[in-house]
Amino acid sequence: MTWWHSLRSGLSAVLRRKRLEDDMDAELHFHIDTYAEDLIRQGMAREDARRQACLEFGGLERAKAECRDALGTNLVESLLQDLRFGLRMLVKSPGFTAVSVITLALGIGANTAIFSIVDTLLFRPLPVRDPDGLTFLAFPRDANHFEPEFSGPEFRQIREATRGVFSSVNAMILGGLSSANARSDGLTVDGVTMPAEALFVSGDFFPALGIRPYLGRLILSGEGNVPGSDPVVVLSYHYWRTRFHEDTSVINKPAFINGRPVTIVGVAPKGFLGPTPLIEMQAYLPLGMMTLENGGDTAFLTDARTRSLLIVARLAPSVSIKSADAALGPLGQHLAKQYPRPGVQPVLQARPLRPPGLVNGPNPFPELAALFLTLSGLVLALACLNVANLSLVRASARRREMAVRAALGGSRTRLILALLVETLLLALFGAAAGMAVGVLALHALRSLAATASELPLVFEFPFSGRVFVFGLGAALVAAATVGIIPALRASRANLSAVLHEGGRSSTGRRQRLRTILVAGQVGGSLALLIAAGLFVRSLRNAQHADLGFDPGNVLNVRLDPGEIGYTKAQGVAFYSQMLARIRVLRAVQSASLVTIVPLGDNVQGDDIIIPGHETSLGEQPPHASYNAVSPDYFKTMRISILYGRDFFDSDTDVSPRVALINETMAERFWHGIDPVGRSFKRADDPQNDIEIIGVVRDSRTEDTYSPYTPTFYVPISQGYSPAQTLQIRTAGAPQAIGPDVLSVVRDLAPTVPVLSIRTMSDVVNNGAGGLLLFNIGARLSAVLGLLGLALAVIGIYGVTAYAAGQRTQEIGLRMALGAQPATILWMVSRHGLAIIGAGLALGLAIAIAVSHLVGDFLVGVGATDPLTYLGVSLLLSLVALAACYLPARRSMRVDPMVALRHE
Amino acid sequence: MGQQLELLQGTLDLLILKAVSLGPRHGYGVLLRIQQISKNTLEIQQGSLYPALYRLEQQGWITGEWGESENKRKAKYYRLTALGKRKLHAETDKWKRMANVIAGILQTTPEEV
Repeated sequence: MTWWHSLRSGLSAVLRRKRLEDDMDAELHFHIDTYAEDLIRQGMAREDARRQACLEFGGLERAKAECRDALGTNLVESLLQDLRFGLRMLVKSPGFTAVSVITLALGIGANTAIFSIVDTLLFRPLPVRDPDGLTFLAFPRDANHFEPEFSGPEFRQIREATRGVFSSVNAMILGGLSSANARSDGLTVDGVTMPAEALFVSGDFFPALGIRPYLGRLILSGEGNVPGSDPVVVLSYHYWRTRFHEDTSVINKPAFINGRPVTIVGVAPKGFLGPTPLIEMQAYLPLGMMTLENGGDTAFLTDARTRSLLIVARLAPSVSIKSADAALGPLGQHLAKQYPRPGVQPVLQARPLRPPGLVNGPNPFPELAALFLTLSGLVLALACLNVANLSLVRASARRREMAVRAALGGSRTRLILALLVETLLLALFGAAAGMAVGVLALHALRSLAATASELPLVFEFPFSGRVFVFGLGAALVAAATVGIIPALRASRANLSAVLHEGGRSSTGRRQRLRTILVAGQVGGSLALLIAAGLFVRSLRNAQHADLGFDPGNVLNVRLDPGEIGYTKAQGVAFYSQMLARIRVLRAVQSASLVTIVPLGDNVQGDDIIIPGHETSLGEQPPHASYNAVSPDYFKTMRISILYGRDFFDSDTDVSPRVALINETMAERFWHGIDPVGRSFKRADDPQNDIEIIGVVRDSRTEDTYSPYTPTFYVPISQGYSPAQTLQIRTAGAPQAIGPDVLSVVRDLAPTVPVLSIRTMSDVVNNGAGGLLLFNIGARLSAVLGLLGLALAVIGIYGVTAYAAGQRTQEIGLRMALGAQPATILWMVSRHGLAIIGAGLALGLAIAIAVSHLVGDFLVGVGATDPLTYLGVSLLLSLVALAACYLPARRSMRVDPMVALRHE
Repeated sequence: MGQQLELLQGTLDLLILKAVSLGPRHGYGVLLRIQQISKNTLEIQQGSLYPALYRLEQQGWITGEWGESENKRKAKYYRLTALGKRKLHAETDKWKRMANVIAGILQTTPEEV
C-alpha cells in the first residue's frame, strides 16, 4: 500500500470515525452475544455463558486497538494526539512558551510588515478586471526614462490604428501634476474648498477597467469628448470617507471645481486608488473637463504640439505585450516622423500598468526591497536561533520524559513528530502574534509618512492574502529551523544513560551546539547593527550637509486661489496685497513667494536654447531646472547672490524677461565668461529672450545628495502659477506668527484655501525630497538592529548562565580547594569570550557580504566604513561581555558548602 | 476434545480466506466454520480474528456487508473478492508446496542422504 493510499484511508477513517467505532462495537458484541447464546443453548446458565464468552474472546479493547491499527487510522489520529499533547506541554511551561512566542512574533512581525510594503510597491495588481491586460503607451528615452505624453491628434490616430491589438484605448490627464507645478484642483462643497487630486479620463476608461461604482455612477462612455460639456465628478471612496464621512447626500449635490460648477455623480469602488502607484486619485472627471483647470484652453485635445495625454490601453484577448509591441512598431515610426520628438527613440511601446507603471526614472524599489527583506530575514533567523536554543535547554530537561516514552514503545519517528508538532504550534502562535505586531508597525510607519508630502501619498499596506501566506511560510521555516535539531537530539537519548545520570545532564556536544547557535546570533546581530550604524551615520551626514539655504526660522504657507476660480489678474492682486501686509507684521524679517518649495515639491525642468552653444547630433540639448520666485526670496532663504541683482517689483509681466542662475548653470554654459547680461531661451517659450541679471549660490532643490543641477529663477510675475507658497523669515519661533498670517489671508479673501502651514525645517526633515527616506531607513534599520541585539544578549546570557549553573558543584569544589575568584571568573567567562570572538568574525563577514545591498542608499559614508564597523563591534562586545559577566559573577560568589550539597 | 494445536504463524489469514470462500460468513461464523472443518483441533484466540478480518478487508481480499443474521440481528457478512480468490489460490499452492517439502525433509531416512 502506498503512503498516499494509507494517508487517504487514514484521513477518511478519521472523518467517519464515529460510524466506524459504532460498527466495530456492534460487530464485536454480536460475536460475543451470539457465542453466549450458543453456550446457553448448550445448557450453560445465562450469567456463566456471558462471562465465558467474554473470557474466551479476550481483551475487547485490545482487539479494537488492533483493528484500528489494521485500518490505518493511526497516522492521522496520532497527529491529533500529538497536537493535543503538545498544547498541554506548552501550557505546562508558560515561561518558555511566552518567551518563544514573543521572540518569534517579533521576527515574523518585522518580516510581514516589510513584506506587505514590498507587496504594495512591487506586486499588488490594480483592483480591476484582468489587471495584467492593462498597459500604457510610451516612447523610450533611455534605459530608465520614457515619454508617456501624447497630443490629441496622436491619441486619435493611435486609437484608430490599433483596433486589432487593443480592445480599448483611453486617454487620461493627471490633473495638476501635468501643469507647471504640482498643484491639486480645489473641490468646493457647501462653501468649503479642499484640494482633490483629479484624474481626467476619456469615456471608455471605466468600462475598460471593468469596475462598478460604490455609489451612483462612474464616468460614462459618451462623456468627455467635447471640451467643457460634461460637468460631473466621481469621488474616490477614500476621499468620500475622509472628507464627507460616507454621507450619501453628496451625490447629485452641486459643487465647484476651481470655482466652476459641477455635480458629484458617484463614488468609485473601495480600494480603487487610481492607475498610478503611491499617489491616490481623489476625483475623476471626463477628459473634456480639463478646461476647468487650464482656463478653457482646448489645445490638449486639438493641438499636435501640446502633449499632455497619457494613453491607457487594454490588450485585446489573447494578445500579449510582445505581439502588441510588434504591431506598434510601424505606427511608432510613422508618428515620430509626422510629429517629431527630439531625444526619443522612435519605438512605440506598450508597458504594463502594474507598479512601478507610470513612475518615470530609475526604480529603486527592488533594491530597497531586497535590502530590507534581507535585514528582516536576519532578525527572523536570530529569533529562530534563540528559540532553538531555548528548546535545547528544555530538551535536556525533558530527556527523561523522552527516554521513558521511548522505553514504553514510542517509535523514534513518533517522538520526533511529537516534538516537531510542539514547535509548529509555537511557530503558529508566533505567526499570529507576529502578524498583529506587523499591522501595528505599519500603522506607525504610515503616520510617520503621512506628513511627508503635500500630495495624497498612498501609504496603505492592506493585509493581503499574499502577506498571510508569507507570514505562514515564515512560521513554517521557523518551525523547521527551530524544531529539527532538538527533536533529533532528544529522540536519540540512550535510555539507561539518562535514567542513571540523575538530575544532571551535561553532554559536551549539546553545549557545543548551543555555543554555535549563540555565536551565530552574535554574528547576525552584529551585521544588523552595522547596517543600522551605516544608515544612522548617513542620516547624520545628510542632516549636517550644507543645503545652500538656511531652513531655520522660516514658515511656509501654501495657498491656491486657483482652487476657487481666481483668474490670473485676481491672483496677482491677491498675492501682492497679502505680501505687502505680511511684510509690516511684527517679527517678520523678510517675506517672499515661491512656486516650488525646495526639497518639498517636485522640481520642474525645461530644455534651454543658448546662443552660440551648439548641440551636436545625438547629444542631449542643454537642460535646466527652474523656479519662479518673488523679490526677497534669496533674502528669506539666505541664498547669497554672488553677482548682479535681486528681482525688483519693477520686473513685471510686461517688462523684459530676466533670470538669476545658479553657480552650476553659470559654470556649465558660460564657463570662464561673466554670464550677467547674456541671455538664453526656454524651449517651451522660444519667442522670448531671457536676460541673466545675476548669479546665486548653489542650493538644494530636489534632494540633499545628488550633484547640483543647472537651475534658473524667474520673477514670479513672469511665471504666474495660482499655487504659491508664502515664506516668512521671523525673528523668533516661526510657528508663532501663523495666526497673524492666517487672519491677513482671511481678511483679504475669506474663501481662499490655505493648503498647509509648516516650517521649512519640517519640509527638510520630512519632505519627499528631504530626509524622509533617510529617516525611515535609519529608524527601520535601527529597530531591526536593536531587536537583533536584544536577542543576541538573551542568547549569550542564557548559554553562560546555563553552563555556570551546570558547573556549580565543580566550582564549589575548586573554591573549597582554594581557587581564587578571579580564576573562577575566567573559567566561566572564557567560554562566553570565545563565543563573542567567533560571533564578531562571523558578523563582520556577513556585513561585508551584504554591504553591496546597502551601498546605494548611503550618503557620505562608505558601505564598508571602518569607523562604523569598529564602533559597532566595540559596542556589541561591551554589551555581550556584560551579558557574560553577570552569570560569571554569580558563580564567583558561590558558597562552597552550598555548592557541594547541591546534589 | 483432544489436545488443541496452536495456530502456526501467518496461517490465520489463509484459513479465513478459505472459510469465506465457501460462502459469505460473519466473523463468528468464520470462527465456527474453521472449528467445524478442523474438528476443533485448532486453537484460535477469538479476539485476534477481527484484526485479521479488518486487515484482509483493508487489503481488498475480502469485503464486508451488513446483513441480518439467523438470530435476527445486524451482522457484518464477509465474502471473497476476485482479488481474494487469486490470493487464496496462490497461498494454497504455496502452502501445499511448503507442506510437501517439509514432509519430504522429515521423512528422510539416513540411507537417503
